[in-house]
Amino acid sequence: MKYSSATSRQSIHASEGALIELRSLSKSYITPAGRTPALRGVNLSISPGEFAVVRGKSGAGKSTLVNMIVGIDRPDQGEIWVAGVAVHQLSEDELARWRGKNLGVVFQFFQLLPSIDLVQNVMMPMEFLGLYTPKERRQRALNLLEHVGLGGHTHKRPAEISGGQQQRVAIARALANDPPILVADEPTGNLDSRTSNEILDLFSFLNTQGKTLLIVTHDKNVAARASREIEIADGQIISSGSIDASPRAVSTNLNASLSMTRGNQL
Amino acid sequence: MSLNARLSKILRDIWDNKPRSLLVIFTLAIGVAAVGMIFNTVRMMKRDMFGQYAARNPAHLALYISPFPEKLAQDVEAMREVAEAEALRSVSAFTYDGKGARKDLNLLASPDFDEANINRFVIEQGAGAPSLRGILIERNAAHRLNLHLGDPFIVEMENGKRYTLTIDGIVHDMTIQPYSITAEVQGYVAMTTLEWMGEQPFYNQLLLIVADAHQDATGVLQVGAQARDRIIEPGGYHVGAMQVRGEPDPGDFWARKQIDGVLLVLQVMSVLGVLLSIGLVVNTISAVLMQQTRQIGIMRSVGATRRQIAQMYLAYVLALSMLGLLVALPLGLAGAAGLMAIAADFLNFNISKVNLPVDVFLLQAGLGLAMPLVAALFPVLRSSRLSVYDAIYQNGLGSGEPQKGWLLRQLARIRAIAPPISLSLRNTFRNKSRLGFTLATLTIAGAMFMAVFSSYATIRRQIDELGRYIAFDASISIPGGANKYTVEREALRIPDVKVAEGWASANGVIVYADGRESDRIEFVGLPLHSQTIQPRLVQGRWLQVGDNGKVVVNEDLLAKVPHLRVGDSVEVKINGQKRTLEVVGVVSKHMSGARIYMDYDQLTRLTGRRNQVDSVRVLATPGAFSQPAEQSLIGKKLEKRFENAQLSQSSSRTRHEIFDAMAKAFNILLIILLLVAGILAAIGGLGLTGAMGLNILERTREIGVLRAVGASHRSVRQVVVVEGTAVALLSWVFSALISYPVGRLLSEAVVSVAFDTRPTFQYSFAGLGVWLAVVILIGVLASLAPARDAVRLTVREVLNYE
Amino acid sequence: MNEAILKPQSVSIRSIATPQNSPLIELHQVYKIYESGAGKFTALKGIDLTIEHGEFAAIVGKSGSGKTTLINVLAGIDRPTSGEVIVAGAPVHRLDEGELAAWRGASLGIVFQFFQLLPTLTVLENVRLPMDFCNLFTPAERDQRARALLELVGIAEYADYLPSQLSGGQQQSAAIARALANDPQIILTDEPTGNLDSRTAEQVFSLLQSLADNGKTVLMVTHDDELAARAKRVIALKDGEIVA
Repeated sequence: MKYSSATSRQSIHASEGALIELRSLSKSYITPAGRTPALRGVNLSISPGEFAVVRGKSGAGKSTLVNMIVGIDRPDQGEIWVAGVAVHQLSEDELARWRGKNLGVVFQFFQLLPSIDLVQNVMMPMEFLGLYTPKERRQRALNLLEHVGLGGHTHKRPAEISGGQQQRVAIARALANDPPILVADEPTGNLDSRTSNEILDLFSFLNTQGKTLLIVTHDKNVAARASREIEIADGQIISSGSIDASPRAVSTNLNASLSMTRGNQL
Repeated sequence: MSLNARLSKILRDIWDNKPRSLLVIFTLAIGVAAVGMIFNTVRMMKRDMFGQYAARNPAHLALYISPFPEKLAQDVEAMREVAEAEALRSVSAFTYDGKGARKDLNLLASPDFDEANINRFVIEQGAGAPSLRGILIERNAAHRLNLHLGDPFIVEMENGKRYTLTIDGIVHDMTIQPYSITAEVQGYVAMTTLEWMGEQPFYNQLLLIVADAHQDATGVLQVGAQARDRIIEPGGYHVGAMQVRGEPDPGDFWARKQIDGVLLVLQVMSVLGVLLSIGLVVNTISAVLMQQTRQIGIMRSVGATRRQIAQMYLAYVLALSMLGLLVALPLGLAGAAGLMAIAADFLNFNISKVNLPVDVFLLQAGLGLAMPLVAALFPVLRSSRLSVYDAIYQNGLGSGEPQKGWLLRQLARIRAIAPPISLSLRNTFRNKSRLGFTLATLTIAGAMFMAVFSSYATIRRQIDELGRYIAFDASISIPGGANKYTVEREALRIPDVKVAEGWASANGVIVYADGRESDRIEFVGLPLHSQTIQPRLVQGRWLQVGDNGKVVVNEDLLAKVPHLRVGDSVEVKINGQKRTLEVVGVVSKHMSGARIYMDYDQLTRLTGRRNQVDSVRVLATPGAFSQPAEQSLIGKKLEKRFENAQLSQSSSRTRHEIFDAMAKAFNILLIILLLVAGILAAIGGLGLTGAMGLNILERTREIGVLRAVGASHRSVRQVVVVEGTAVALLSWVFSALISYPVGRLLSEAVVSVAFDTRPTFQYSFAGLGVWLAVVILIGVLASLAPARDAVRLTVREVLNYE
Repeated sequence: MNEAILKPQSVSIRSIATPQNSPLIELHQVYKIYESGAGKFTALKGIDLTIEHGEFAAIVGKSGSGKTTLINVLAGIDRPTSGEVIVAGAPVHRLDEGELAAWRGASLGIVFQFFQLLPTLTVLENVRLPMDFCNLFTPAERDQRARALLELVGIAEYADYLPSQLSGGQQQSAAIARALANDPQIILTDEPTGNLDSRTAEQVFSLLQSLADNGKTVLMVTHDDELAARAKRVIALKDGEIVA
């Protein structure tokens, strides 16, 4: 189930089994200093149910890689296939709808909409996609918030809750349209270690529920929980082996932390 | 409770940013309200003033005829071309107000007030037609002189005899110019009362309504000429003059043309205002979009299409516009009610009701809702088209802003200014479209403001021009005329009077080449070396000794005979006789109507009234004018002496009083114009406040950096205020550049509606100076609040701003 | 390297002079507690720290460890909830915003992660700005000094460019020159190399190092362990406490 990024010919034929597949992906940016390559011919394939982390130093190209997969940024060359869709060929609006349905995106700075409350933040993706009835959306958003341990805060605004809680809401929002894949860029980058752990527990739990996870981080703790670690340096994948951690081991942990959080609210 | 999240976001964004939302709402509201105020005033004036006037069956033409019996009117009415004709007797007399001051009084007598159909008035108080020794008073004078039903009313006839009448009623007559403008009391009496007061029972005016209601002024004059030639003059009566009533069309309200002109100017200004306010709203919307770029990126990343994003922000604009409209509607209606109240009082008409007509509402709704949407479409579409990547990843200073272009690089070359100041100055040019909108608003506001000043200066200049032709301390008219030498001798017997000149006047017409005749023209006969006139010659020369058959005309006459040049001959009809006169000079316009000046002896020879004068003008100090109080005193002495000598019972008029009356009439106009210019300036100020606020908001991080490198409160405030003032000054430069043409345009519009003439334009440098002060004030005031916000930002808030 | 420019100026620029024998920076029992709707969060838990003149110290720790809070408290950007912060003889925790601005302008040079040059001013003007604000030197001297500082950081030829025309490394060099404008005793930098590629990061780091060698006290927040290891002193934070 793992493919070496070095053997590109192999990956072309292996697309049936892969959920995410990158082929000879290249991207460079024009900066005042000149042309800076961010990705140099990356090949990668991720199977359903994987918990993959992408690691590397600042500027190594890991954010660019993730942006390509979620269709936020476009490659100069190469192909991106996600769940059988040629992402690199979609128009901006097709991308928006496709992303809304198939990918949950979690950002480093949570990126909740500040003016509306938590339920509405979670309802937003459902509204944009026109999924569910208005009543169902609300119920579903409430359930998701309950699920991430914020059932008691539904009518607060993002600024009224802590960073860790905001990230939970962001995860709930990412789950709104029930996408098969969750992608997160430094989801714990702005959190203290205890809160980071809670968030990671949540990710691990989601993985056990069948979500495919792709997390960009330079946090070693995150990598420790992943089923696979992909390391990137200077725009190239230097290792994409697996770590055989047992994701299931943390699920009880998660339940404990969720109930603890809830306990705090009551 | 279960609001749609998108709608919720829109409402929240409005509610959370109350100052910004209010700014947008009020900027829009002021513009839309101004349009509503002006357009609704136009509608209501048309309905009430023009409508009420039309219902009074106004005359198309008035003929001034030698004494005639009522029968003549019936004969004229029998003409095919004439629909209605009525005889009227007009007598000049005087009355006294509560303080004993003498007032001009015009008495009108109709053969039968109950039957009178032309120029109908409405009885507001009292029984109806005036009884013997009774009088009806026009309400505008009655209100101002505090006259009531049943009060005694003193009438002093020109022979000096006084009679006390009883006020039988208060009437509303829209067909005469009200007391508020003319200072002449209008009274209506029965012919029997006139007889009781020693007058002969004859008529001297004939009012006509022509059969073809669509006749223009020329056509109406032709009907008048037919009546004269076929009925009146064959009957042995003499037509002194004919006057078309109403402009531009016969039968129009007496100030219709002027009012239409002023309202048109106001309409244009208000539309300009609303367009500017919409521009400013777009400024704010663009800034909101810029600020929410990241949020847009997030929404796009959770599945929003471009269309959905565009819809959301257009809905945001619509919500703000609706709130703006909600404020604008009552504000505009209140403004219209206020304007109507002023107009109704000044022009003497009734307001039937204050309402918001559907079309004015639709205009306001269209401008207030549709225009902002259309205008916001561009920035909204631009933002929704931004790629998700660009929308989400913005970091550090200056990123997300377009690459600085040529302008900034040029500015960067200016090295003489210290960085804190050049920071302000260059910041000024950072958001070019915002700067553009703000500058446009302030520039137009400034140009209009200065134009109002220039209009004032231009009007002043016309009034000063008038001053050249009334270069006396006081003058008194002598109805019926008197012997020149007696009059001048009597005047000179007053100790202060050093110069007394008897002038003769006569009415006549110009006869065109095709035989048609013009409106009434005034002939003025004056001494050749008159000291009470300082004519300004536009062409040719002034009158000289030995000018036989040579005359000087004024520019107003040129308007009637456009191709007239110095050296040309003009055929006139005076005293029933045709004469050909040679024009030797043209003098400036002076608000007198068309005039022909000629030597006193020449004129009296033409009219056959040798040694008779119709007025006398006196001067205390040759070559200088006395103080208003002294003029007034001279006037009083003149009245007294002439009364004693049984020469005239007229009230004197001083130079100062004439100026005063003129200034009063124009001040109302200028105040309304200044009000509109003020609205524009307010929109400009709000625009600048908004723009500065947005600048600060967008540069929060930069302000933090300024703090971090040691900028004190004062320095930060200075950076903001200097920027605001720089924008204001820049707008001043632009408005100064266009202030000449704009001022000229507005002055000509205002003066041409008021004087029916193209004025000699006078640019106002005072306006330039005053606007400079105002705009600097606007600049400083508009940046104070943003500067305070900037100072409040602590470095932490700024640098941790995420 | 032109060292004269780094020597203390003959003109006295510090109203609050520090006796040379006491430490340059002293923190006593500094607590910082943030309160939000979510409850209290203690970012700094009783920090005691002394930094001497001329030290080159790296402050390391993970995200959320409190290192940015620490440097904000030092710079008077953030106020401690309790405790004392004495920097260059000034009781920073007690100054108001206006006093802080003046003090900061004279005593601290701050270098940010994202350079934070003002985009409308040229590089030279950016460097001149702190001198203008604090009214130091004559206007003619300010230009001269700004030029000399740009020479020092090696980008003199870009003096009249706008920041947007420079590369990231060049911008950071300009930011360092700006931090030196008022000849402060202390240079604070927050992730100065965070946005630079490794070669440029190295140049910026050596520049900071040479400043320390020339008598400046340099405090650098970083999460790059390699870079930190090269500083003379490493202050490691974890969950609001100094652990090394």
